[in-house]
Amino acid sequence: MHHLKFLRGGLAVYTALFIAFLYGPFVVMGILSFQKGPEGGPQFPILEWSTYWYRHVLGFAPPSRVAPLPIGEALVRSLTLAFATMVVSTVLGTLTAQAFRERFRGSGLVFYLVVLGMIVPGVLLGLGMALLANNLGIDRNWWSTAFVLHVVYTYPFAFLVMLAIFNRFDRSVEEASWMLGVTPARTFRKVTFPMIFPGVLSAMLFAFTLSYDEFPRTLFTAGSDVTMPIAIYGTFAVEIHPNLFAFGVLTTLFSFALLSVYGILMALSVRRARMRATGIQEEIA
Amino acid sequence: MAAYDLELVKLRKVYPGGTVAVEGFDLQVERGEFISFVGPSGCGKTTTLRMIAGLESITSGRLMIRGQDMTGVPTEKRPTATIFQNYAIFPHMTVRENIAFGLEVRRLPAAEIRRRVEAMIEKLELGDVADAREASLSGGQKQRLALARGLVTEPEILLLDEPLGALDANLRRSIQEELKILQRDLNITFVFVTHAQSEALSMGDRVVVMNAGRVEQISAPFDLYTRPRTPFVARFIGRNKIIEGTLAETGAGTAAVQTRFGRLRGVAVSDAATVGSPALVVVPSEYVKLEAPDSTPEEGEDSIAGTVTGIDAVGPLAYVSVRLDDRQSVRIETHRERIAGRGMEPGARVALRWRSERATIVPDMG
Ligand SMILES: Nc1ncnc2c1ncn2[C@@H]1O[C@H](COP(=O)(O)OP(=O)(O)O)[C@@H](O)[C@H]1O
Ligand SMILES: [Mg+2]
Repeated sequence: MHHLKFLRGGLAVYTALFIAFLYGPFVVMGILSFQKGPEGGPQFPILEWSTYWYRHVLGFAPPSRVAPLPIGEALVRSLTLAFATMVVSTVLGTLTAQAFRERFRGSGLVFYLVVLGMIVPGVLLGLGMALLANNLGIDRNWWSTAFVLHVVYTYPFAFLVMLAIFNRFDRSVEEASWMLGVTPARTFRKVTFPMIFPGVLSAMLFAFTLSYDEFPRTLFTAGSDVTMPIAIYGTFAVEIHPNLFAFGVLTTLFSFALLSVYGILMALSVRRARMRATGIQEEIA
Repeated sequence: MAAYDLELVKLRKVYPGGTVAVEGFDLQVERGEFISFVGPSGCGKTTTLRMIAGLESITSGRLMIRGQDMTGVPTEKRPTATIFQNYAIFPHMTVRENIAFGLEVRRLPAAEIRRRVEAMIEKLELGDVADAREASLSGGQKQRLALARGLVTEPEILLLDEPLGALDANLRRSIQEELKILQRDLNITFVFVTHAQSEALSMGDRVVVMNAGRVEQISAPFDLYTRPRTPFVARFIGRNKIIEGTLAETGAGTAAVQTRFGRLRGVAVSDAATVGSPALVVVPSEYVKLEAPDSTPEEGEDSIAGTVTGIDAVGPLAYVSVRLDDRQSVRIETHRERIAGRGMEPGARVALRWRSERATIVPDMG
């Protein structure tokens, strides 16, 4: 009994610490982002509350000794890259998972080859890609070498998500469509895809967020036009100002918005089915 | 010669793992026939049905529909429709959309599609739930939707894989009748798979009994019941009294078997068996009468003896359990008044009698 109490107390402390470390940095960052500008530094105490650094990030602040964050273009690049990666990885992941629904020769080997992309340490992969590109005389660009590595990295995640979805998928529904005279291609569009859509949404979310803040694989392969995480890293080398924190808060909010869209789409597809169902039941009753 | 609606020739299926699921399956089905496949779980019924539907490849043999070889013809091009055991309703479509789905790829005018869908909804009484999805349908409604969806494309052969398995007994009986009426109405061929012998016997014009991937017997239900041709059918179908022995004499469609109850006669289903080989005497319990042990059998009757072990009365019926002298037990259904006052109580000796032309002599290959 005494033992149990002790354990429970320990667990409570552990959970509290866990939450503190999970949200602590964000809370600190959030507070410091409202530091007085442009004189205030990235540390406590807060000299005076202000939204100066937010205006600074968005380009509304008057010129000062603090240079604007060099992230405008990098942000566009990162979003474009994440979007392209999301599309390619989700399509590849879905098709590969579809192929894995039937056991084929060498499927075990192919599985490990695909999953390797998320297991191999990112820095090694990035370095290797940079060396390869140099040897072959290929220019390193965010939209070429870095893009390939982003796909190699996120494709296994999309693949695993879709594999789990197909695992629970009842094949006879597709067979029923074929036997009605519907071709396999149309069956995929009209029957299979709508049924696996929630899974596709999850795969897209994974691919996008993983690519959006990818660092080690991008560092050596993006060339001179860097992505957002690399650009932020670059500013550390000079001097840190609270504008970085303001930017951090904004991107976190953006990620959160993305997650909300995902949640809403998910809930809608579930609710639509249920609403129809209950509506009919009431009609009958 | 008019082509059969469905013809299987030496059909064989070996799964990649090496399981021989179907072997040497021969069958000819006339247009508009109701064929039942029955057999224990794992005997290859579903596999055969899936080969007919084109959902499973054929290892060897031939499969023809209306005289056309179906080799290489994909599922969507075959004139068959399948009702799956789990119904396989499209969960993201309404009942109406489910039914219309197969017509939409057929380049029919929209008005024609609507007309056919509504006609099918009416025929299968799905009007109340036409805009509902699978989640809110009852078992019986899903069943009817699966039927409507399959029938609306006007297949020439409807394949049903244990379609009533998930329904409760009352619903099952009423849908059995509906199915039978529907089939006669449409005059298309039904191939109906079940593991329940009563269902196969009551539904099929002819019944295919399968065991371990092979066809045991193809007969009309009554023949199957009264004239089993293999030991498996004798044991699987109906309630038969089976007595082992060796073949003692054959000739002119009849045979006699030497058993521990003496020599018993019956109709021979095969001329091939040689005297001295093992054979079974099979008697449907319905033809067995209970008599006093000392009474004399009539001309043409066979008789064996046993001891009454119990009597269950259910209304006017009585079920008499008898332990035979070979230690087997048998339960005979009779009318209560027929055994009243005849000393039939547990422990009493009794004679079981039947007319020998009711018995069937089946070679016992092991
Ligand atoms: N996809 C499959 N792969 C390998 N073996 C199978 C497959 N489907 C069925 N079998 C095997 O084939 C045999 C016949 O199965 P099935 O046709 O489903 O029988 P039934 O429908 O009569 O119960 C069984 O031994 C079963 O284990
Ligand atoms: Mg089956």
